[in-house]
Amino acid sequence: MNGGSVLSGYRVLDLTDDKGRLCPRYLADMGAEVIRIEEPGKDSGFHWQDLGKRSITLNIELEPGREILKRLVKTADVLVESHPPGYLEALGLGYSLLSKINPRLVVASVTGFGQSGPYRDYKSSDIVASALGGQLYLSGEPDWPPLKPFGDQSYYLASILAAIGVLLALLRRHTSGRGQHVDVSLQECVAAALDHALVRYFYQGEVAKRQGGLHWNNAFNVFPAKDGYVLLSLFYQWHTLVEWLDSEGMAEDLTDEKWRDRDYRLQHIDHVIDVLGRWAKSHDVAGLVVKGQSMRFPWAEVASIPGLLASPQLEERGFWVEVEDSDKGKKYRFPGAPCSLSRSPWKVGNKAPGTGEHNREIYQELGLSEKEVEALIKEGVI
Amino acid sequence: MTKNKMTTPILKNLRILDFTWVLAGPYATRLLADFGAEVIKIQPLIPQEEDTFSRGYYNTWNRNKLGITLDLNKPQGVALAKKLVEISDAVVENFTPRVMANWGFDYEKLKEIKPDIIMLSLSTMGNSGPWRDYSGFGPTVQAFSGLTHLTAYPGRPPSGLGNAYADHVAALLACLALLGALEYRLKTGQGQYIDVSQVEAMAGLLGDAFVPGEEAVFQGVYRCKGDDRWCAISVFNDDEWLGFKKALGSPPWAEDERFATPSGRIKNKQALDGLVEGWTKKQSAEEVMALLQHQGVAAGAVQDAADLARDSQLKKRGFFVELGGTISDAVPIRLSATPARYNREAPAPGQDNDYVYRKLLGMSQEELAELKGQGVV
Repeated sequence: MNGGSVLSGYRVLDLTDDKGRLCPRYLADMGAEVIRIEEPGKDSGFHWQDLGKRSITLNIELEPGREILKRLVKTADVLVESHPPGYLEALGLGYSLLSKINPRLVVASVTGFGQSGPYRDYKSSDIVASALGGQLYLSGEPDWPPLKPFGDQSYYLASILAAIGVLLALLRRHTSGRGQHVDVSLQECVAAALDHALVRYFYQGEVAKRQGGLHWNNAFNVFPAKDGYVLLSLFYQWHTLVEWLDSEGMAEDLTDEKWRDRDYRLQHIDHVIDVLGRWAKSHDVAGLVVKGQSMRFPWAEVASIPGLLASPQLEERGFWVEVEDSDKGKKYRFPGAPCSLSRSPWKVGNKAPGTGEHNREIYQELGLSEKEVEALIKEGVI
Repeated sequence: MTKNKMTTPILKNLRILDFTWVLAGPYATRLLADFGAEVIKIQPLIPQEEDTFSRGYYNTWNRNKLGITLDLNKPQGVALAKKLVEISDAVVENFTPRVMANWGFDYEKLKEIKPDIIMLSLSTMGNSGPWRDYSGFGPTVQAFSGLTHLTAYPGRPPSGLGNAYADHVAALLACLALLGALEYRLKTGQGQYIDVSQVEAMAGLLGDAFVPGEEAVFQGVYRCKGDDRWCAISVFNDDEWLGFKKALGSPPWAEDERFATPSGRIKNKQALDGLVEGWTKKQSAEEVMALLQHQGVAAGAVQDAADLARDSQLKKRGFFVELGGTISDAVPIRLSATPARYNREAPAPGQDNDYVYRKLLGMSQEELAELKGQGVV
């Protein structure tokens, strides 16, 4: 029994680049009308972060473009942007001005370092945010350069956090009647998602280092198996684990009394890894994981994308959506909603808009005549 | 005090019954507590013996929450939890699906106790499907989701991230969903069930792996002076390439035609990487970063935890929160009118028993003493 969506009736203006691009998509997933604003004359191509959005073209660096944006702002609940701090102010479109035009407007800004501080005007990128935020140093093998996590993870984290900020601000608006400004820094978002690293530093004075596929506390390791990679825990249910290996004649000396001592195992972790490695290599990934999980070992297939797409679990849960790239005429199986809500569905759209696809409807709705639109196109405003 | 600081926190009237443990669940409820929710954390009666790290870990992810002891393996404990559900807006948990059901706390049952309750479950695989009972921690989730496999050096085995990143991701997406459910309840008066599979939440951030694209930016991590010191650099366009050359002191090799266009720089990345590193390794990561940033090029020292603790940008923005002599990271959402607030350290076991059981549930001193005697609280 579903009863409409969370954000139906809300309008969101999307002025982001890749840094914040996923934020308005989440709002679209939850039912908001999201209007992505693109530079005229440029085809931005297919972006999965734009699924479910609408698209118009508008040059806000030209005066008539700014006037149109202000008219749009009057109709909007939320504006999300990721311009360098000060850029919109310089155009007369900063938060203080926009909130005068529409006091109920919530503005979210995603930037490399936030709206304040000595690095405010520095340039950023995903890899730079990962470096300065502390994630990069933790990833990769010890004698190799730090390894960038797959995907623009800092952009995605910041987008989720900005979306949370928007929802918080909208909740407050019900009582206060006013919007507010949400300031999100890529560097901070990365530094707020480091699990053990800051805890160890502040409580133990320890500086966490990277150690490849071996988890930081030596509790897990990635092993090559017969047909792929598998993640095994090294400590859980030690006795059961050794029994299992022993039943296959592969426990080697791990049956010795001394290995029952957790500290001893930690000190000689390399040997534990060697023995488990020989064992893992003689098994299929699926065999290890299915049997291991049935015995409550927190093990996993180190899934490749084809492996993930073939997962019976995700299939059964109806996780996937079919996404269309209309430019290339191609369809992709794509990750669906990250959360299942029983009443107000979270739904990933299956199409991203072409650049300016919704110009006519939206400008018409704003009250611009066909003639005016033509003129604005000619002037490069739309 | 400014008027700003006196503003009522956004989630002031939200009461959350918190069954969570480890990282994903507590991180989610911490964010809600930072914005004013009254989070009542259920704690085991006999505190486990803990090392410094575990204590720090608990403190870090449980600030701003209330703590009550409650033994859910006793029927009186379950009865008491039901009374707490009755006065709560949301229940949050991150066990494998069978645990809450075993206590009789699946959503259907909670709904009977409190019709508009919002229940949020975070589990490895979600609350349905053939693998629903799989258990796991951050590394398990990252392996299943594809993230570990995709994070590898070319031609090397999967390396992965080195921290339970997926716990943070799932927690934040769950927060977003929970706030959505609150907005929905405000409109309709109805609660609902939110089922989060951590594997699915993480897989959703691997979009680039499902839609083929091409690398369009010249970037990398370059060795600098010192032991294990590095600087990350990205050059997005030709303007930045000009700045980049300038920062390096306009070396003749930079004029090589192979490097003149963005596609040329990506095509000849290996050769260019070697030349760039020839320059970076002669100076500190911080010098490399400053020189490049002064020319408008994105560059950042690869910072370890000690670097973060003294980072001038983080410091200036108040990223590190001090509470009772402990330090933790702020919630990285800066709201202009209703900022997050940091009022309390993580609760000691049972610290708020009196407030919750006596004031909120209206129990008498005798009743509470009796439950204490029975080992329920």
